[in-house]
Amino acid sequence: MKDQLARLGARLDAIGERLAQKDLRIPVDLVTGVLFALFAAVILRVMPDQVTVSEKDVVNGRAFPTMLMAVMLLGCVMLIGKELYKLAKKQPLAWKTINLLVEVKALVILAILGGTYFLSRLTGLFVVGGVFCCLGFLAYFRCKKPSYYAITIALAVGIWAAFRFVLNVNF
Amino acid sequence: MLEHILPASGLLFTLENILWINIGVFIGSVFAAIPGLSVILCVILFLPVTYSMTAIPGMMFLLGIYCAGGYGGSVSAILINTPGTPHAAATMLDGHPLSEQGRTKAALKIALYASTFGGIFSALMLLFLGPQVAKIAAQLGTAEYFMVCVFGLTIIAGVSGKSMIKGVISACLGLLISCVGADPMTSYDRFTFGIPRLYLGLDLAICLIGLFALVEILAKAEKKPGSLNMDAEKIRDDGVITREEYKRMLRPTIISSLIGVMVGIIPGTGASEASWFSYNTAKNMSRHKEEFGHGSVEGIAAAESANNAVTGATLIPLLTLGIPGDGTVAIMLSALMINGLNPGLSLFTTQGDIMYAIMLGLILVNLFMLLQGKFLTTLFAKVVSIPQEILTPIIVIFCFAGAYSVNKNYFDVGVALIFGILAWILRKLELPPVPILLGLVLGGMTETNFRRALLISNGSPRIFFSSVYCVIFLVLILVAVGTIVRGKVLERKAAAGKED
Repeated sequence: MKDQLARLGARLDAIGERLAQKDLRIPVDLVTGVLFALFAAVILRVMPDQVTVSEKDVVNGRAFPTMLMAVMLLGCVMLIGKELYKLAKKQPLAWKTINLLVEVKALVILAILGGTYFLSRLTGLFVVGGVFCCLGFLAYFRCKKPSYYAITIALAVGIWAAFRFVLNVNF
Repeated sequence: MLEHILPASGLLFTLENILWINIGVFIGSVFAAIPGLSVILCVILFLPVTYSMTAIPGMMFLLGIYCAGGYGGSVSAILINTPGTPHAAATMLDGHPLSEQGRTKAALKIALYASTFGGIFSALMLLFLGPQVAKIAAQLGTAEYFMVCVFGLTIIAGVSGKSMIKGVISACLGLLISCVGADPMTSYDRFTFGIPRLYLGLDLAICLIGLFALVEILAKAEKKPGSLNMDAEKIRDDGVITREEYKRMLRPTIISSLIGVMVGIIPGTGASEASWFSYNTAKNMSRHKEEFGHGSVEGIAAAESANNAVTGATLIPLLTLGIPGDGTVAIMLSALMINGLNPGLSLFTTQGDIMYAIMLGLILVNLFMLLQGKFLTTLFAKVVSIPQEILTPIIVIFCFAGAYSVNKNYFDVGVALIFGILAWILRKLELPPVPILLGLVLGGMTETNFRRALLISNGSPRIFFSSVYCVIFLVLILVAVGTIVRGKVLERKAAAGKED
């Protein structure tokens, strides 16, 4: 068992090393500008379906979100314009480096969070998700200390019990 | 004012309030002492707990966390040279060197006394200035209130990140999210996308758990394994501070408390700015400049008194105008509003007893912070070394339990998770989360005043330029934008100069 775990650890280290060397560079301001311009456009497009108004209203429920999306679009245009100006003037753009290892690790954490959520929801027992969460994170940190497993699981059960029996949150 | 003090004291001095203050102070100190956990995260996690409380114990609990967070950050700054909270960074410059000289307990005591002084000074300022500012606020109409909201949002959007434009985009996103659910004036549904549960809107606590807490869990992916846990050295000294040192601490403590109050009143600025500004001022005014950076008692006192003096001052614009001074008090605004306490003069007149109880309570919070700091220092020092392996799943369980307990359903836990993913994407795009928070908090107030003003003027936007206060706020907005943009340009030029 110990050998198998060591081998698994070594394999994960090797994958991690390979991923750590892979970077993705994005022109962050340009991407933000384009993404949020599209977002604002979509919101403006769905506004008539999503916001019911009465014809009698002087100022209806669409006025404020429309103004917000107009301001957002203006901000995006300024952001894109600034970056395009830099491009034309051959100045360096604002770049963001995204490391693949970090993103994969974030996805693993997200999977633990998702697992916790679905287990709690499906079983109707929050404590089941809580225990899974503890085991998931301890495995993520590659913790080998049995005392840590005992402490975290005991704390998870304790928190559930406090919410369940003291605060009367039935889950 | 005096007519409210006595009944307010009666409301404040109950066993329940004192218990919640102490729980808040303890939790705040522990959270702030652990590097990587923040006061805002702590307030978000425990906000749902206050939903079942009345106004005074709820606010006392949150204020306990907020104030103790100001001091707690200094524990890890002094012990392990890592500030528990960003505003403790200035404390670290002298706190850790003093600890290395074998005077850890003395450094912690200086930080505690200065924090308490700053906190009480700030609470007194709130007590005297709050009602006066509220009288001015009473003269504001709907159009003026809209301008006040825009002013607050502009400053926060401007100072919360590297780019003001990105701050504005974030604020718009927050305001848009606040529009989800029933229209505040007509009750028609908006942006519900066929999901009936969304008609009730998105609860602030649930959004914040995702935006500020779960994203920090995802951010563990950015940390290298070795940097996750830290060992604190044991406290070995007796913590004696000489009479000479007390004398030297006095002047920087008073001046820094004043600076903290002045900085705290301005929305968007906060404890970090106050502590650095005060630290530099104390250094320039000191006769022992050479000691700064090598364990100066004046340096620790200046930084700590300033960052705690911000706490009461940030409540002045919050309680009078509804404009939160920083992200943490923005969350407190929602706790107030849940109890039907809407900021403004009416809060000081019709609900004066409650308001004065809260303001007096801030003094009490600081006194209990002093007591807990004095007797529990060794415990707080141990907390610094809690391993992340244990801490991380426990925070997640708190987040999920908190999200569930708001409306007692798993839909909200899913929403919190989605907001966590959204916050992770925004982080990658370098969009600051604080303007989103302010947008969420101020969304309802901004929209309602915007639409009411337009209704009064029959749809004419001229109403937003019609009164003296509107013009004053417009000028303030323009000045703020100008100053922020100028500051960012200078920052960029300085950075470019360094690169060359």
